[in-house]
Amino acid sequence: MSELLTHEQTEQIWKLCCQRLSRMPVQYVIEEWDFRDVTLKMRPPVFIPRPETEELVGLVLQDIQTKLSKGGEAEHKCLEVGCGSGAISLSLLKSLPHLKAIALDQNKDAVDLTRENALKLGLQDRLEVHHVDVLKDADTVLRLCSRVSTLVSNPPYLFSEDMRSLEPEILRFEDHAALDGGEDGMDVIRQILLLAPKLLLNHGRLYLEVDPRHPELIRRWLEHVKELQYMSTEHDMNNRPRFCILQKDACNGHP
Amino acid sequence: MEEYRHLAQTLQHEYLGDLDRKYINKRHKELSPVAKAFQKIERAIKDLHEVESILHITVDTGEEDQQMIQLLKEEQTQAKDIIEALKKDLILCLVPSDPHDSSNVLLEVMSGRTTGGDICQQFTREMFDMYQGFASHKNWDFEVFNYTPAEYGGLHHAAVRIAGEGVYRRLKHEGGTHRVQRIPEVGLSSRMQRIHTGTMTVIVLPQPDELDVHIDPKDLRIDTFRSKGPGGQSVNTTDSAVRIVHLPTGTAVECQQSRSQLQNRETAMGALRTRLYQSMRGKETEQRHTARKQQVGTRSQSERIRTYNFSQDRVTDHRTAYVTRDIKEFMKGGEALDQLISDVLQHGESESLLELVDNLQRAQPEPGLVQD
Repeated sequence: MSELLTHEQTEQIWKLCCQRLSRMPVQYVIEEWDFRDVTLKMRPPVFIPRPETEELVGLVLQDIQTKLSKGGEAEHKCLEVGCGSGAISLSLLKSLPHLKAIALDQNKDAVDLTRENALKLGLQDRLEVHHVDVLKDADTVLRLCSRVSTLVSNPPYLFSEDMRSLEPEILRFEDHAALDGGEDGMDVIRQILLLAPKLLLNHGRLYLEVDPRHPELIRRWLEHVKELQYMSTEHDMNNRPRFCILQKDACNGHP
Repeated sequence: MEEYRHLAQTLQHEYLGDLDRKYINKRHKELSPVAKAFQKIERAIKDLHEVESILHITVDTGEEDQQMIQLLKEEQTQAKDIIEALKKDLILCLVPSDPHDSSNVLLEVMSGRTTGGDICQQFTREMFDMYQGFASHKNWDFEVFNYTPAEYGGLHHAAVRIAGEGVYRRLKHEGGTHRVQRIPEVGLSSRMQRIHTGTMTVIVLPQPDELDVHIDPKDLRIDTFRSKGPGGQSVNTTDSAVRIVHLPTGTAVECQQSRSQLQNRETAMGALRTRLYQSMRGKETEQRHTARKQQVGTRSQSERIRTYNFSQDRVTDHRTAYVTRDIKEFMKGGEALDQLISDVLQHGESESLLELVDNLQRAQPEPGLVQD
């Protein structure tokens, strides 16, 4: 702290300050951020991981570790829809040495950044990343992935009308497609729910991060989907209903 | 010793209940180092008697085998030395030990209040640096989880977790009020004097294992930046600070060291467990209890345990009257501090041993009286 900055360093800092003054999020200014126990590269417009999502990963880990301790198979495969910077898949891979993962995103920048982060963390051998839009290319998704034990997603879940009141940091720099979930915020969620029975192994689980208004909507919507069971709603650190856990049950709802 | 022999005999009996056996085993294990030391001394004394009796015989019969006498006298001295060393060992075994001695610790430094100037805060930072240096000197882990700086480069308060071998035993006597003096006291007005004297407080708590403290998630209120509004994707912030309040006891901890909110929460939970553990075990009673057994002298919380006099280049520990010079070297937290700590520990252990003997004497009837 007692060393003086060089001319170049001072210029660099000035440049970064200007970026921040233009409302660029700090994570983009410094080009990195921490997520659980990993440090990820950040680059606009790829969505910046939120703290809630750290808890989503915690829920997945808890379940898998419980299964492992009860003598379940060590090999697990996981599919992530909408990977962004790769936060979810990469922190899962880091914590579970035998896990393999497939990550999808409709944004090419996100796919590139996820691959970069995988390389940076040395996890590239256990991660496949694909540029696919789950809404437009359902067939491709089904073709790419054999059945998995875990399906996880932090899909765009904001209500379209709420997009307008977002702060400039988000509106001007982050990919709107990673935020806007349609009129009721459920566009991508519904698609995932439809595809889940075909993507999951029997008794495999789906973990979703959602808006606090969604758990109720999802429960009701599931009455039309025979093969998915609603297991539980979990709350985030601010005590808001934030995570939905569902399980594939191929017995068609019979007890 | 008698208890030890009695226990050994009891253990031989096979028809002991499980719980009894467990308890007796434990007690037997506790007494075993003492018993062994005592047995060693008994043997050494026997050896000494043997040597002395041979010596007497040799001298009595008037044999003038000088070499033989010389050898025997040497053996006698050796035997006496061995007995002295063994006695010291025995004393060490007898010192009542604190069950937390081998624990890791939560160490907190807090600036005192000062009227004018930032001497307390500067001093607090120097103390923090000293303990950091000490941890490095002892090869301990030094994990900062709260660091709240003050203006002008001082430190308001900080909390760290120090992990390693026997950390609590070495650091437990550091807890208390430390005073700093930077200008000689003679001839100054009282206001001027206050500006150049300051205090800070050190708190050292043993850190429990996760299993020792059970915390019900329902009893916690967790505060983070994101409390207002729906949160989630609609907010972007870099404020990852976490504050946890344990509602039943009102204990609060906060952590903002990491950029990951989850990491901060885990660190805060660790600190909460430590604080709850302390309250659970009745902090006040434990401290008083410990003060009786281990601490040197009886100083209330507000009494200063040590003064750091920069203008006279002197550190004085008021519990043992230990004085050391070269305060600059001392504040690096190296060998100088280690020596002071050893001295304080020794005093503490002697005092607790004396107290133990005192209690035992009071518990037993005077031998003289029994004869009446």
